Amino acid sequence: MSQFRIPGKGRVKHDEKVTFSFDGRRYEGLRGDTVASALLAHGIHLMGRSFKYHRPRGPVTADSAEPNALIGTSRGAGRFEPNTRATVQELREGLMCESQNRLGALSFDLGAVNDALHPLFPAGFYYKTFMWPRSFWDRLYEPVIRRAAGLGRAPSEVDPDRYASRYLHTDLLVVGGGPAGIAAALEAARAGVRVTLVDETPEMGGSLLSDPEVEIDGQAAWDWLAAALDELRARGVRLMTRTTAIGYYHQNMIGLCEKLTDHLDTLPENAPRERMWRVRATRVVLAQGALEKPLVFHGNDRPGVMLAGAAQSYLHRWGVKVGERAVIVTSHDSAWHAAFDLAEAGTKIVAIVDTRAALADELRAEARVRGIEVLAGHTVTGTRGRLRVASVTVNPVENGRVGDPRMLHCDCLLMSGGWTPSLHLFSHTKGSLQWDEASRTFLPGRMTEDCHIAGAGRGLWGYLDALSDGAEAGAAAARALGHAVEPTGFAVAHDRPGTGESHKELPTDRRSHRVRAFVDFQNDVTAKDLRLAVREGMRSIEHVKRYTTNGMATDQGKMSNINGLMIASDAVGKAPPEVGLTTFRPPYTPTSFGAFAGYKRGATFEVTRATPIDAFAEANGAVFEPVSLWRRAWYFPQGGEDMEAAVARECLATRGGVGIFDASTLGKIEVAGPDAVEFMNRMYTNPWTKLAPGRCRYGVLLGEDGYIRDDGVIGRLSDDLFHVTTTTGGAARVLNMMEDYLQTEWPDLDVWLTSTTEQWATVALNGPKAREVLDGLVEGVDISAEAMPHMSVAECRVAGFRARLFRLSFTGELGFEVNVPARHGLALWEALMEAGKPHGITPYGTETMHVLRAEKGFIIVGQDTDGTVTPDDAGLGWAIGKKKPDFVGKRSLARPDLVAGGRKQLVGLMTEDGAVKLEEGAQIVLDPDQPKPMKMVGHVTSSYRSATLGRSIAMALIEDGRAREGETVHVPMPDGVVRAKVTSTMFYDPDGERLKL
Amino acid sequence: MMTSQTHDFTADAGARVRIEALAPVARFSLRVRAAGRPVLGRALGCDLPDRVGETARAGGRVALCLGPDEWLIQAGEDEADAIARAGADAYAEAPHALVEISDREVSFRVSGPAAADLLATNCPRDLDRLAVGGATRTVFDTAQVVLWREADDAFRLDVWRSFAPHVRALLEIGQAEIAAGL
Repeated sequence: MSQFRIPGKGRVKHDEKVTFSFDGRRYEGLRGDTVASALLAHGIHLMGRSFKYHRPRGPVTADSAEPNALIGTSRGAGRFEPNTRATVQELREGLMCESQNRLGALSFDLGAVNDALHPLFPAGFYYKTFMWPRSFWDRLYEPVIRRAAGLGRAPSEVDPDRYASRYLHTDLLVVGGGPAGIAAALEAARAGVRVTLVDETPEMGGSLLSDPEVEIDGQAAWDWLAAALDELRARGVRLMTRTTAIGYYHQNMIGLCEKLTDHLDTLPENAPRERMWRVRATRVVLAQGALEKPLVFHGNDRPGVMLAGAAQSYLHRWGVKVGERAVIVTSHDSAWHAAFDLAEAGTKIVAIVDTRAALADELRAEARVRGIEVLAGHTVTGTRGRLRVASVTVNPVENGRVGDPRMLHCDCLLMSGGWTPSLHLFSHTKGSLQWDEASRTFLPGRMTEDCHIAGAGRGLWGYLDALSDGAEAGAAAARALGHAVEPTGFAVAHDRPGTGESHKELPTDRRSHRVRAFVDFQNDVTAKDLRLAVREGMRSIEHVKRYTTNGMATDQGKMSNINGLMIASDAVGKAPPEVGLTTFRPPYTPTSFGAFAGYKRGATFEVTRATPIDAFAEANGAVFEPVSLWRRAWYFPQGGEDMEAAVARECLATRGGVGIFDASTLGKIEVAGPDAVEFMNRMYTNPWTKLAPGRCRYGVLLGEDGYIRDDGVIGRLSDDLFHVTTTTGGAARVLNMMEDYLQTEWPDLDVWLTSTTEQWATVALNGPKAREVLDGLVEGVDISAEAMPHMSVAECRVAGFRARLFRLSFTGELGFEVNVPARHGLALWEALMEAGKPHGITPYGTETMHVLRAEKGFIIVGQDTDGTVTPDDAGLGWAIGKKKPDFVGKRSLARPDLVAGGRKQLVGLMTEDGAVKLEEGAQIVLDPDQPKPMKMVGHVTSSYRSATLGRSIAMALIEDGRAREGETVHVPMPDGVVRAKVTSTMFYDPDGERLKL
Repeated sequence: MMTSQTHDFTADAGARVRIEALAPVARFSLRVRAAGRPVLGRALGCDLPDRVGETARAGGRVALCLGPDEWLIQAGEDEADAIARAGADAYAEAPHALVEISDREVSFRVSGPAAADLLATNCPRDLDRLAVGGATRTVFDTAQVVLWREADDAFRLDVWRSFAPHVRALLEIGQAEIAAGL
């Protein structure tokens, strides 16, 4: 049995041993232990080193606010986690732990040289020390700072664990399973409310778990607790332990992180390690309790110096004495009860040192009964002991004068500076805080969300008050949900109410520069640092915080913020609310990236949309490229071809015979209704009235600003029905834009929009042989050149499937696009491949599609346009219906800056050396010899090697580009300036003869 | 509705929640103004409910109100032509849009005691408020779905075709998670 474990005491299972290792040594603990309680049971307080000074540190708390006892934990490859709080991590069989922040052994840390050099590292030393010489920065300062920065060792392997997500809706969410939270949940559940109660620890009960002597309604605390939890379960309340409310977001959305497996000896197959709950609660009760404050005095960070409430918890929850000889130093009554409990468990209480001169008679009497010396009106001026506190120096304080020191020998020093309501979640809601002068603390003020705050979280103390307040909050929540309830009363015996005082750093007789009184343990910020920051001009607590890093550690200042504020406000000479409290931000406690990522990793990281024909591309070795959320076949390499060779082959095969292309990703919108043509006239720049059913037109869509947003071929199927196509990436955006106009500007129009993008699979056939491939497969329409001219559409059957057949071309060749219901897409493709075999039909991908269209000067919206290009800039002035009274963007096209000269216009570019291909995005200048910075007149938007033309081609946006046709421009590149001639964008078959087949 | 595939999962996982891909049905998106609603209801042989999320059924046809002027019409696969014709015949009296979307979506059924839990992995709706027989347009992860509650412990999801593999993959991850019991 470990020396400091009290047989039979606590809530741990004394008959279930659990072995674990710490820094390579095996230890035995009990089921229900945390790493901290198990090590303390072996008398080990030293668990880590501090961040900046590498001072030896032990746990100060028994909970999630722990700043010191941070360890690395592991259960094998990939499952290492740094900065785990030893006070939170439950023991599991075989758990491997290691201490952090040490150079060498934990007990002899070479980095502790920093501690001896501490005068060199005052607050803000970064800003002062590493300034000169400049040349030292890159080679010395930055590498040293980077090596010193960061807490713990970052894992390097992929995390093999799963992380889960879940949504939850509840009428009432109660955060905090202490007495107030349980009372609230009971009250609301009895009224019939759907309640969820969460607590971050493995067990409901909160402070009751550390105060078994209290009696509620005639039952011992733990019996009452068990009965209350049984009742909650019976009433269908969802009880969630190991579940931290990490953030409180708008409209009562609360994020919960539930730890599922970190406490398990073995991992169940497929079990997620953590689950992020997104809870929408109609009402919320925050019953988070209060956080005990340390006292600020010289040497308050030594291992063995701990919060009195933590010592009480270790005793009652885990049956562990934190030492044999304890000195108590306090400004609050609560620590007296801890002292009494420890005394009963056999720890020698050397003295209770209280900063207050006036003490409650009952407390003095109880101390006297136990033979405990009481030193009222005293301060602590120092501690000694290398790796563990061995003595403490106390001095009387009279009229502000610190009297003669007296040394008390001890192996633990239990402190309490009073309690701060836990305001973190409330602070997330941007609720206002009120300074309460009587208790010298901030309390929740005006609410912005539908929430209630109960118990110690709003400054109440004692079990009767906490329970009653919780019940009242639960009843108020139930009433707000439409239930009539009167809260139940409670009878509490052996209650432990109490009061206290709040301090800045304790008075001392030491010279101020020799005082190392820690405020933020994790970031090694002392009271002296805070005062220095104020002396150097910081006035707001936000500035003080950033200058000193007080409250910026992973505990977010749970223990340091209020002490820091007291000291800063004293130094500034203003009341605390005028200096302000820093903002708490989610998450409440450190939360794994995995929990946030949830299912968004690997194959489910993001949606990958695939067309019905994707299986063919996959089976035929296509290389894919992402286009918005789609994956599209990019090119189809054959026999070891690289991309350039494959694309050249695909281009030549299409121009020389026939190519087949999966165009299913094109956005499709059915525009239907008596006012369809009017709607089209208003949306698109083109005139639509005279477009006959059965014909198509290339449409250009602008934004209100007159710039090109989208384009596509639109077919008129009947007077009242248009089949609109959009770009692949623009499909959703265009539909939204259309709906927006329809609903807000033109609700009078009888027209409706339906997305049919995924209803149809679309296969494009291009090339002089396209009609021959189709011929035998089409039923119900004559596809001869005469009967079905370029830019026609017909409903028919293709390969036996109902189809919408377009004759159009994005390649400049004879072209058709066949739309069939999506489930038949692959069958259609295979039928066309079969029919095309005699003609050498060649599948091509998006790259060939891009090259072929560029040879014809067809734009790609988003590549050749960038949201600042008008139709005229793009050479599409012809697509504007000049006689139309209005269309989206029309008025903007008359804006002075859109009609002025000097606009960038889309032109072709041919490099003087056809073997040189320009880089897309390259900048263009007129004179390469001008001084830098040169005036850039435009940039390359598209650039390809054209197998058809046997040279490179490019498109570019150039100032007054069309007027420069024939001129030479220059494209400065890292390896020299490329000369290129401005040309038309129609590189191939400018007269469109090939379409006339 | 016919089940075309029942995937072979471990008995335990299947016992708590099953995922099935369903056979195709005829689906139409109907848009019509309030005045034309009764006309289309008569033409289609199925009332068009006027509360979003409500369904009406008649002779194997189902009409789900998805918006103030929007209904999803669903029927057996062989009825598609008849529905299209009925719409066309009523067009002169009540102009509307009736667009076939049978192939736009595919459907999954999620059933078993843990069905609602499985959906809650990625669907933000309060499923307690989705009555049996009702349906709603919502999302599953980032994919738009129409979610039908067929029974207390049985739901159907209509998912746009290209999003279906993603939804399916997430459902299967969730199913394994539920089978793990944590």
